[in-house]
Amino acid sequence: MDLSLNVNGRPEQFAAQPNELLVERLRDGLGLTGTKVGCDTGQCGTCVVRLDGRSVKSCLILTAAAAGSAVTTIEGVTTPGGELSGLQEALRQEHGTQCGFCTPGMVMALGELVDGTADREAPTEPEIREWLTGNLCRCTGYHSVVRGVQRACSAARADAPAQPATAAASGQEG
Amino acid sequence: MTTVTGETSPQGGGVLGQPLDSREDPQLLRGEATYVGDIDLPGTAHMAILGSSVAHAKILSIDTKAAEQLPGVLKVATAADFTDVMPLPCIWIPGGVESHFPPHPYGLPGSRPVLSGDTVRHVGDPIAVVVAETPRQAAAALAAISVEYEPLTVVTRADEALAEGAPQLHEAVPGNLNAYWTCGDKDRTDAAIAAAEVTVELDLVNQRTINSPIEPRGAVGDYNAATGEYTLYASTQGPHNHRFLLSALVLGIPFNKLRVVAPTVGGSFGTKGYLYPDMPLVLLLSKALGRPVKWVDTRTGLMNSTVQGRDHRQHVTLAGTRDGRITAVRCTSYANLGAYPSTIGPGVATALMGRSISGMYDIDAAFCEVYAAFTNTVSLGAQRGSGRAEAAFLMERLVDRYASEIGMDPAAVRRKNLVPKEKFPYDNGLGWTYDSGDYQLNFDRAIELSGYADMPARKTEARARGKRLGVGIASYVAICGVGPSTRMSKEGMLGGTWESANIRVHPTGEVTVTVGSASTGQSHGTVFAQVAADELGIDPATVQVYEGDTLKAPYGQGTYGSRSYSMAAPAIALTARKIKSKLVKAGAVFLGVPEEKVVYADGQVFEEGNEENTKTFAELAMAMWYGWGLPPEIEPALDETTHFDPPDFNYPFGTHVAVVEIDELTGETEVVAYTAVDDAGNIGNPKIVLGQIEGSILHGLGQALMEHAEYDLDGQLVSRDLNHYALPRAIDAPFFTLDKTVTPSPHNPLGAKGAGEIATVPPAAAVVNAVVDALSDLGVRHIDMPVTPEKVWRRLRGEAQ
Ligand code: FES
Ligand code: FES
Repeated sequence: MDLSLNVNGRPEQFAAQPNELLVERLRDGLGLTGTKVGCDTGQCGTCVVRLDGRSVKSCLILTAAAAGSAVTTIEGVTTPGGELSGLQEALRQEHGTQCGFCTPGMVMALGELVDGTADREAPTEPEIREWLTGNLCRCTGYHSVVRGVQRACSAARADAPAQPATAAASGQEG
Repeated sequence: MTTVTGETSPQGGGVLGQPLDSREDPQLLRGEATYVGDIDLPGTAHMAILGSSVAHAKILSIDTKAAEQLPGVLKVATAADFTDVMPLPCIWIPGGVESHFPPHPYGLPGSRPVLSGDTVRHVGDPIAVVVAETPRQAAAALAAISVEYEPLTVVTRADEALAEGAPQLHEAVPGNLNAYWTCGDKDRTDAAIAAAEVTVELDLVNQRTINSPIEPRGAVGDYNAATGEYTLYASTQGPHNHRFLLSALVLGIPFNKLRVVAPTVGGSFGTKGYLYPDMPLVLLLSKALGRPVKWVDTRTGLMNSTVQGRDHRQHVTLAGTRDGRITAVRCTSYANLGAYPSTIGPGVATALMGRSISGMYDIDAAFCEVYAAFTNTVSLGAQRGSGRAEAAFLMERLVDRYASEIGMDPAAVRRKNLVPKEKFPYDNGLGWTYDSGDYQLNFDRAIELSGYADMPARKTEARARGKRLGVGIASYVAICGVGPSTRMSKEGMLGGTWESANIRVHPTGEVTVTVGSASTGQSHGTVFAQVAADELGIDPATVQVYEGDTLKAPYGQGTYGSRSYSMAAPAIALTARKIKSKLVKAGAVFLGVPEEKVVYADGQVFEEGNEENTKTFAELAMAMWYGWGLPPEIEPALDETTHFDPPDFNYPFGTHVAVVEIDELTGETEVVAYTAVDDAGNIGNPKIVLGQIEGSILHGLGQALMEHAEYDLDGQLVSRDLNHYALPRAIDAPFFTLDKTVTPSPHNPLGAKGAGEIATVPPAAAVVNAVVDALSDLGVRHIDMPVTPEKVWRRLRGEAQ
């Protein structure tokens, strides 16, 4: 069937099998390999992309079901070699990535959380952890990722001039 | 979240020891790093592997005809297509044990064929491969292959495999016993136990676990018919080792015709250093088809084929005096090697575990025996903290059992038995000689930081909330820095275990470091640049590090057992020193003064007492590149290599304290506080090590609380995907309080000890000790891992284990 998607701001048209998964279209069809496949069962979160702004696991959704939507992948967050987003920069400063295989999925999942914080209360640590439960990381133990999100939320709030800049508790570090 | 109380401690006032940001992170954060699954060579065909659906059977027939007819299928192959390929070797046969398998050239023992032909021995045992135009077509073709099996009786436990009448896995291995291995002094230990005032015993199950790197393994084979050269891209933690094993020992091709490249690797934790059938298969099929062949595993495939860890059943005994002095420890262990000896699995299950059992304690008599047996399960291999975690678990459980038996505080018992500072180097009587340590300082720091003295009050407070609070301590010593090659040969390791580094200084003053090690997420590019920059006194930004490609880097064993920083980094430092001493010699020529007058400091040479007469690093680099005016004894250019083979291993250590709360109603165990004080000697980059420690602790907590590779009676892996195998998630990580002590190792020029995985060693013991503490008034003396809510709930209601 002929389908179309808007991927990272670019319209894409292609023929797809009805059983094709969105992650297959992105990785194999469009060559956007930043999105990873870590499991067969929707458990690991390495394949998370944003679909019309909401983070979804692209291994759990058919391309056909996403047709007509706007997809943002990790490649759509920055330009190649370009400046990091606020969240990516905060994760870099906290060394929130080791092998990096879980990282694109985390950036995409956490992006939704961080984006929403400029105009509301910063998420608490338990909220961040709750948000992260769909993403597995075997390297970091998640602590540095949580610190990165806290840092990113602080920065996002500080950058939003209309809002009082409340420092999120970073709880660390010597 | 984590509180870190330790100071960062730069060593020479230079860039080493500083928490520099990881230079690898930006490309990982942008999703731009290339993992093996992202490699897309022109004309690539895709391979899928058919694994056995039964755990033990004779193969009566394999019908591939239907599969061959399917669209896109290029080739279907079975064992019959690979009869001239040598079996995969096992290179760590524990000392004194004979290999039962047919030998390879160079005396190496064989282990398993690339594909199983007559018999399958575990679910997932590879029996056929398909290559097709697309991954989907390859997968579809697998489903069209029909295999007729004649089922055989299945055994999945090591002790049962050794029992009379057990099914036999390999004709060459009578009774399924691969190794009976011992260390320590049996007679002395037996006598000490017989004469002891107090003895305690435990039966322990150190359950099988699955390492589960988030990236499954993958491999791309690319044969070049014009040159006869093979290239393998693989998710490997030891590209040089894989090159050696594959070329000479499996494919029978010249060493210099195989190039192995490790692209970015998505975690490993021990599992990606092994030789797996897929590696030779992609190379052979690429040659057969004249196209690159790519294979990427699924999660279920990984769980049914990538080496698994731990898996010991043990009977352990500790003897001591009534006043808390430990006099002997003894362990009898049944280790489950799985269906075939993996590349180094037999050594992990024996030496790495057995020689470590006495931990931080000064014990007069110790003995360990291991029966390593074959069963119808996935092969056993290393797993973050491998061997040492199993050892720490048994010893630390025993110490608590002993403390409760004599009515002494577990912290006091430990304190009393720590190896005293003045006894280093300390021979532990089991085969290891600990290099250096101040165990008392480390232990006291952990106890104090954990607020141990306040625990009785906290228990009372928790009880009022319907929670039982327990506290558990676990100390450990981890052998790292594999290794001294001669020592490892005595241990049965077939191969040199040294590490090498090359430094090339370019005419423009920039520096390239190449090492044999290969990162699987440890920011080697950052840390190794720090090492070279620190020695040479230059800006680390001008240093580029290459590794993971056998064509670019000198030989090296790779990354495992937390060895990179204490093996590859010293090789870099020593190489930098060679560069410096050459520059001092050449500096005499360039400065026009005698060599004794030349000083190298802060990246320049100058004349002693006349600092105006100087040449910067960049000037020297250019001058050496031109080579004008150099005397015959000084070769032009700056290009040096070091092969570092240390005099002995190094021995990091530490003490962890877990505090758990058990819900009286649900039996749920929550780790509410966790304190870890580790000593990894001098640290190159504390920011990177902090991340490794945090991840390691959570990995250990995973074994304690949720991870279990469970086989049913038919040998099916029940926990075959992430719906059935629980990995710790972000909500499972408790608050960590971390600190460190620093005892440099005398065995390398950086004073480094292993760091990456050491914090995985004690958490399981700390948590189980805490759980038993919380339940001790109910008469609970032990509880097997994983400590699930159901198990605890039953114990709360008085059911026996
Ligand atoms: S690949 Fe989608 S959740 Fe694992
Ligand atoms: S950084 Fe390796 S899995 Fe998260």
